[in-house]
Parts: sequence; C-alpha cells; structure tokens
Amino acid sequence: MWEYILIQGAISGIIYALIAIGFALVYGISGISNLAQGAYFMIGPFLYGVLKETLPDYLPNLSSNAILVLALILSCVITAIIGSAFYRITLHPLLGQEVNILIVSICVCIIFQQLILIIVEPGKTFMFNIGELLPGKLSIGNVEVLKGKLLAAFVSILFFITLAIVIKGTRIGKAMRALSEDIEAAMLMGVNVERIFMLISGIAAFLASLSGIFYVTTTTYNVSVWMWLQGLAWAFTVVVLGGLKSLKGAFVGGLIFGYAEIIIKKVLPQGGLIIQSFPFIITILVLLIRPKGIFGKRIEME
Amino acid sequence: MPINVTKYLWKIYTEFTTRIYDIPPRMLGFLSFIILAAIPLMLDPAKLDFLIIANIFAIFAASWDLLVGRTGQISLGHAIFYAIGAYSTALLYIYFKWPLWLTIPLSLLVGAISAFVIGLPCLRVKGPYLALLTFALPFSVKGFIYYYSDIFGGDAGIPPIPDKLYEFFPMLSGDQKVIANYYLSLGLMAISAIILYKIATSKTGLTFISILDDELASKACGINVTKYKLMAFIISGMFGSLAGTVYAHMIQHRVDPLFLDVTYSVYPIIATIIGGIGTIYGPIVGAYIYCFLDRYLFQYIIPCISIPLGDHSISIPLGDKDVRMLLFAAIVVFLIIKWPRGIARTIVEKLEDLEEPREIEEIEKEKKLQI
Repeated sequence: MWEYILIQGAISGIIYALIAIGFALVYGISGISNLAQGAYFMIGPFLYGVLKETLPDYLPNLSSNAILVLALILSCVITAIIGSAFYRITLHPLLGQEVNILIVSICVCIIFQQLILIIVEPGKTFMFNIGELLPGKLSIGNVEVLKGKLLAAFVSILFFITLAIVIKGTRIGKAMRALSEDIEAAMLMGVNVERIFMLISGIAAFLASLSGIFYVTTTTYNVSVWMWLQGLAWAFTVVVLGGLKSLKGAFVGGLIFGYAEIIIKKVLPQGGLIIQSFPFIITILVLLIRPKGIFGKRIEME
Repeated sequence: MPINVTKYLWKIYTEFTTRIYDIPPRMLGFLSFIILAAIPLMLDPAKLDFLIIANIFAIFAASWDLLVGRTGQISLGHAIFYAIGAYSTALLYIYFKWPLWLTIPLSLLVGAISAFVIGLPCLRVKGPYLALLTFALPFSVKGFIYYYSDIFGGDAGIPPIPDKLYEFFPMLSGDQKVIANYYLSLGLMAISAIILYKIATSKTGLTFISILDDELASKACGINVTKYKLMAFIISGMFGSLAGTVYAHMIQHRVDPLFLDVTYSVYPIIATIIGGIGTIYGPIVGAYIYCFLDRYLFQYIIPCISIPLGDHSISIPLGDKDVRMLLFAAIVVFLIIKWPRGIARTIVEKLEDLEEPREIEEIEKEKKLQI
C-alpha cells in the first residue's frame, strides 16, 4: 500500500511536473502567461498519431520501434516550431499587456482546437487512438509499474537536468536569467530579446507536446479535442502550487500533485469523477495559506 | 450683419462635420432601442432566435466587461456564472415549480452569493494567478456535477424546462411566443445595460477604474480595494447568472454541463473585443454584431464562400459551427494585435485627433473675422 503510493505518486508527479515546467519557464523568463501551452499539449499527441500512421509509407526500411521514436521526436520538434512561430506572430507584439496576452493565448487554443476538429472530422466529437508507446509492466519490489510510465519519468528527469544545466551554465542561459531580471537592461547589454523569447517558447512547446504524448500513451490512449483544458488545468495547479516563476517550484508542485491524486484515488475508490475538481480545491487551499505559491517570491511594491 | 450670418453658418457647418459623433449617448441608446424594438415587424419570427441570443449575450458580455475592462480583474471562466444561473433556475423549477418572476430574482441572488463565495479566495491573488484560477474553475465544478449526478442530472442534464412565458400568456402560440420572448429579453437587456452603465459611470465605477489603473495608489488614497474588487465580482456574477437563466429558459430549454464549456467563457470575450473593451456599451454593440454575423449572416445568407485559386477553388463552409468559431477566434486575435487598446477607444482617440486641428483652424478663422 505505502510502496504503491510512494512509487506511483512519484512517477505521475514527475509527468505532471513536465506538463507544468514549460509554463513556469515561459512565465519566469518573459513574464508571459502563455495559455497556448495547453494547445501544444494536445497538438503533440495528435501529430504523433498522424506521423505514426503515415511514416511507414515513406520509410519502409525502418523497424517499428524506430518509427515510434522518429514520430515522437518529429512531432515534438514540429510542435516546437509551431510554438515559437505562434509566439512571434501573436504574443510578441503584445509584450507587457497582461489582459491582451491572456485573451489572445486562449483564442489561440480555441483556434487549434477548431482546426483539429475541422481537419479530422467536421462536426463530431473527436477521439483518436494512438496506443501505447512501450507496452508491458515492470515490478519494483511488489509494485507493478507500467513500462511506459517509467520511461516517461526517466526522460522527464533527463530533460529537467538538461534544462537546469542550460540555464545555470551556458551563455544562452545567462541571457535568459538576465531577461527574467530586467528586460530593458538585458536589451542594453546586447541580448536579442526576440530570439531568446522565441527559443523559450519553442522549448516550452517541445516539453508540453512531450508531456502530452507521455500522458496519452500511458493513461487514456486517446487524443480528444478537449484534452488541452485538462492539461492546462493541471499545469496551472502545479505551477500555482510551486510559485509561478520557479522551476524548482514546478517540480515540487508536480510531485505534491501526483501524491495527492494517488491518495485521493485510494481513499475515495468511486471518486474518479471528482478527480476533475480537486486541482481547484488544492489550488484554493494553497492560495489561502500562501498566495504566491510554495517557492514564489513575494513581490513588494513594484 | 453679413459677417454674422456667415459666422453662424460656419458654426452650424462645423457642428455637423466635427461633432457628428457627439450625439448624446442617451439619445443613441434610445434610438437603437427603438430600432431593435421594431425589428420583429420586419423579420421572419422563425429567424428571430439570433436576436434573442444577442440580447442575452449583450448582458453577459457587458457583465464581463465591467469586471475585466473596468476593474482589471481578469476572469477567463465567466461561464461559471452562466451555468450557476441556468442550474439554479432549473433546480428551482424542478423542485418547487415556481414561476419565472420568482426564479429570475432568486437566481440573481444565487449568482451574487456564489460570486461572493468564489470571489473571497480568488481575489486574494491578482494578475495571471487570478486568470488561471478562474479559468480552472468551470472545469473543476464539472467534476462535482458529474459526482452528484442524482441532483444535477450528470451528463444528460436536467430534463426540459419549459418556456415559463407560456404560463403568463396562454393565448400566445408559435410565432407570437417567440416575439414575446424577444421583447422580454430586450427589456431585460435594456434594464441591465442601463444599470451596468450607471454603475460604471458612478463614483463606484470611478473607483473601479482607479483600481484598474493603479492598485497601490488607490490603496494609498484610502480606498478599500478588496471591497471594491469583490463588489465588481458580485455585480458581474449577478448579471452573468441573469444571462444564463434567460438563456436556459428561452433558447436551450435544457441545462447540462455544456453550460460550463470553455466556449461560453469565450463568447463574452469575442463580443467585448469586437465592440471595444472597457466601455460598457462596446460589448453590447459587439454582441449584436457577433450574433448577427454568427447566427444569421453566415448561417442563412452566405453559408459558403469559395475563393478561386488558379484552376480549383477553396470553399469555406461558413455554415459549419466549428468553422465560424475558428473564424471568430482568429478575428479576435487579429483585432487585439492591430488595436491593443480596444477598438472603441482607438476610434474615439482618432476622432479627437481629427477634431483638434479643426479647432485650431476655427480659432484662426475667428481671429481673421475679428480683424
């Protein structure tokens, strides 16, 4: 029982952290609350499914596993390109206007949702089965874990470490940190704001689509047009739990969220439906106690 | 003497050319109300539905604008109030069978109370936190509706609630009922538009604007910011739930979790952005434009546009609901990028800019005349 909660909670928590970390990255560096992350959470698995079906026709020599990996990487990269292009077109002209950015990015989500609805099957609720990435189970101690989930957690941790190294150690990371401190001062020091922000949006879209693919291939196996809402709600909860500007906060928030979900599932066996509402309850509780999240810094007078 | 006449004529001319937009807003509102009231005489009653929806969306959008455009408290989940109004009226009908004149004020009350309950924790945070929280709200309430499906009817929703108007006027039938519905919704729209506009231009409204401009400065001036934010939230929630109530009775006749859908949070945004954010009359105009385009023009008049491209042509089926939603989302994005300060404000500023040089000319002309 306890081992089950410990292991399963950690694994799903890491996947939730992956959903949220892109959001925290974009908000922390550019101050943009980009709701379009939800759309990328949906586009990723959709592209993955499409590529998985079509790639074997063009590359008949590859084995099926190679096709899966290629589809995974390609779909994430395409989503990243879409993400940074959409950032440049829609959000960049509006830097610093909070209300407008929120409205525009929610409209971008609607645009993608309707596009997929129209392209695939006009006028119908859309479900798209993409199957499992890595079938089978593995037992750790006496707890059975899906192999796909383990892979997802492993890849997520790999990405967290890479991201931390990039931000702490490289020249681009230095520019990012400078931008999060003060945009104008960084511009004066010769940082190309447009390019860095586009890069960040691309990375965030990449992570969002990766998390979408991992989420779908380990739990529901179906891409639906409404899943961006769910992804967005999770990302919010995790990010608000940890504090909007903090990557460390997103990671810890994801873990808390994962454990809370597993415990609720164990305590309330028939409470599957109420799972939907508990992100909000957690968020309300956290905000009542600590309005800036766990790792958020309190901004005094601006 | 002739100089005086030319001066007078010149004055009339300038009045008409420069101040044409300066008709008193009360007059304009009254004129458009009369035009709207006369529409059922000209239009086929079977197609009147879109105007009823426009009336309802006008209330909804204006209530959103009071909260977001005037107070600066971003709500991306306004559908929650829409659904609260609809569900409360439906439950009151199912369990008590009360008439409409009792359920509408009661659901207003429920809307106000729930706005208070929601606003208390939500308004502790600001900016993106508030937006994220309000966005997640309808999505989370959906879980409760599914969980307590014996009360709320779950996915299927609460069984048909009839048009209560029918009880008042048993002699009405068919088309006449639609027309009566239209006038009732128009009346409600006019009343709530007047109330919202009065609130927005009163001292309370000025306080809202001061919170929008600078929260810290208004705090320093001794304004109880939390109280006024909560007040804006409650007023907005009240009118939002009124819109939901009327919509459930007149159009949908059935209350299901679709009322919590994200599209209902996006409708007031579309209407407000088309009309101009931050002006209470803008969203009302925007709601009419949006409903006219969405539910009448593209649905009945031009359901399909084909763009010729070389040999073959691309046809855009505007009759499809999803295509129209995509189109309007794209329009909103375009409008915001083009005019980030809102259309109404931009136009008014342009007109004022136009006016100023004329005034200088006027002064110079007057000087010449004096000489």
